[in-house]
Amino acid sequence: MRRSIRRLFGGGSGNSDDARPDGGTVTTGRKSALALDGEFVQSLPFWVPPALLVGLFVYGAIGWNVLISLTDWSGLGQPDYGSLDLSMYARLVSDQSFIAAFRNTLVLLVAFTLASLLVGLAVAILIDRGIRFENGFRTVYLLPMSLSFVVTAIFWSWMYNPQVGVINEFLRAVGLGALAQQWISDPRFKLWAVIFALMWQFSGYCMVVYLAGLRAIPTEQYEAAKVDGASTVRMYRRVIIPQLRASTTSAAVVLMVFALKAFDFLFVLFGDTPGPAADILSVMMFREAFSTTNWAYGSAIATVLFALALGVIAPYLFVQYRRGEL
Amino acid sequence: MTGLTLDRVTKVFDDDGGDVVAVDDVTIDIEDGEFLVLVGPSGCGKSTTLRMIAGLESVTRGEIRLGDEVVNRKPPKDRDIAMVFQSYALYPHMTVRGNMRFGLEESTDMSDDEIERKVTETAEMLGISDLLDRKPGELSGGQRQRVALGRAIVRDPEVFLMDEPLSNLDAKLRAEMRTELLRLQEDLGVTTVYVTHDQTEAMTMGDRIAILNGGKLMQVATPLEAYHRPANRFVAGFLGEPSMNFFEMEVRGDRLVGASERTAEPSGGSSPEDGDEFVYPVSAETREAIGDASAVTLGVRPEDVELVRTADGPHDFETVVDVVEPTGNENNVYLAFSSESERTFVATISGMRSVEAGQPAIARIPESAIHLFDADTGEALRNRSLDDLEETEPRV
Repeated sequence: MRRSIRRLFGGGSGNSDDARPDGGTVTTGRKSALALDGEFVQSLPFWVPPALLVGLFVYGAIGWNVLISLTDWSGLGQPDYGSLDLSMYARLVSDQSFIAAFRNTLVLLVAFTLASLLVGLAVAILIDRGIRFENGFRTVYLLPMSLSFVVTAIFWSWMYNPQVGVINEFLRAVGLGALAQQWISDPRFKLWAVIFALMWQFSGYCMVVYLAGLRAIPTEQYEAAKVDGASTVRMYRRVIIPQLRASTTSAAVVLMVFALKAFDFLFVLFGDTPGPAADILSVMMFREAFSTTNWAYGSAIATVLFALALGVIAPYLFVQYRRGEL
Repeated sequence: MTGLTLDRVTKVFDDDGGDVVAVDDVTIDIEDGEFLVLVGPSGCGKSTTLRMIAGLESVTRGEIRLGDEVVNRKPPKDRDIAMVFQSYALYPHMTVRGNMRFGLEESTDMSDDEIERKVTETAEMLGISDLLDRKPGELSGGQRQRVALGRAIVRDPEVFLMDEPLSNLDAKLRAEMRTELLRLQEDLGVTTVYVTHDQTEAMTMGDRIAILNGGKLMQVATPLEAYHRPANRFVAGFLGEPSMNFFEMEVRGDRLVGASERTAEPSGGSSPEDGDEFVYPVSAETREAIGDASAVTLGVRPEDVELVRTADGPHDFETVVDVVEPTGNENNVYLAFSSESERTFVATISGMRSVEAGQPAIARIPESAIHLFDADTGEALRNRSLDDLEETEPRV
């Protein structure tokens, strides 16, 4: 083992006949039979440590979380692994606040993803039409993506402020004061205000993904459609947008997974009690586990979240796998 | 059916402040039902010309008329044209049927059944009926090419525009498609403008060919006319493979004297006689055609150079065989005036005659076959006489 490591690192110890410029292929004596073993052994230091780390801290933690959700651990003290049952999941089904959070999570997932994709697509098409200052616009649209959620949440909370926020100020200034609302305290608008702000932050990402997709479509496709008599709108609808399916899928997966864990944004705006109108599973999980120390109950919510994330990712991975792209 | 007229069409691109003239004052009258080939080297403006006809590029100056109607400002969809792209540009997410239906759905208000009937008919004509439900990605290059043609034909346009449609096919398929395309165009009788850089395609397919160079129209003529009576040196050199031999000559009385070698080595080292190695006496008639030009380019096609046994005339020259390229049917023989000379010219002789490198040979360059071009402008001063050819090949 030590020898093979030394060989991999080029034998810098000065033992010149051990230093092989060809990367350490064994050329003398007992070879072929041991060659496979040799390669396997040599590759161990590269994949064993990460495999152990990921295995323990990711998959181990997920497994442990599932295990805890089967106990009835709460408060201080240690979980009792002696009696495992599904009582926590039974409690979830009858808990009104869980049902509200679950519904909100789904609304957020669908509305946020669709809105971001649509806005991103629209902006990408506009930029792809060869406008002036294209790079400038691209940066402007992508910039929100690079900001921390804490930052964006705070300044959206300022903008949504009912008295001095820029949105209500603007509405009043153009004579639409009647439309000014208590954006982030009125239960009717809360969730939509969050979705809008998140869309603002993420549509830039969709724009980049779509722009790359648009750039990959040869100009002849546009020209052929024009010569075939299609108007610009119909050209995009029938020829160009259908060819962006791969971009849509990959952007949608990223957005949906993000929507499931949109914790930080809500936490900054509302703390751990957004109220039933804007409560989502990740905030509820945090509240149950860390504020009210219902550990097992929190774990059960986490497991549900995990299942949802898997439900988003798994079909995507499966399709990729079937196409041989994994 | 209508003809197509390009009237002094000019296209200027704005390239970082500097103007680039891509197409310069091109005038061509394309008759109804004619197959016109635009040919020229890369960057000569042939594709830009085609794209202006299609409406994919604006026209800077001049007029494009379809029939009697000026179409400069019309968008592509109102021009009643169909275009075949070099890359085919089939819509990858639609089936072949979808691809062929698309144009009819977008540009006409035909009923569904009618569209279906036209698509089926066209597919049958092209022999692609069994591909209708496949997607372009599942087709071979040749099949895609047919679908691209079908997509254009099904629309039954006034004008077909084809931008190097065969250049992505392998050589054998290209030759097949060439004939098939010609047959189709004859059957349909649709005015066609066909862009290619391949002179074989130009020669074999066009009713007439328009040769472009550097954005300028060099000549519009039937293929044979352009081949035998080129308007200038560019056309003469562009058509024909191997291309025409050119000699830079000075006019001295009734003799043309090779000028190139002497101008190549002006600082001496070679005696003046070296430059005089190629002296070509001309008849009074030819001399008259030269007029008062002092320098001319003499051109002769490789197949007009004969190899003879004995030098018995003023147009027979002693040469040395430099390289022989057998092509089977013919041999391309590269000849030099002396074994030291770097400059060679080509003679095409029968493949059955055996000639070897290093061997001396007598080259006969008959005066009836020579072309003379003004050395400055490149304009043809005298083209070969066709009297001896017309008996065997009737002109088009």
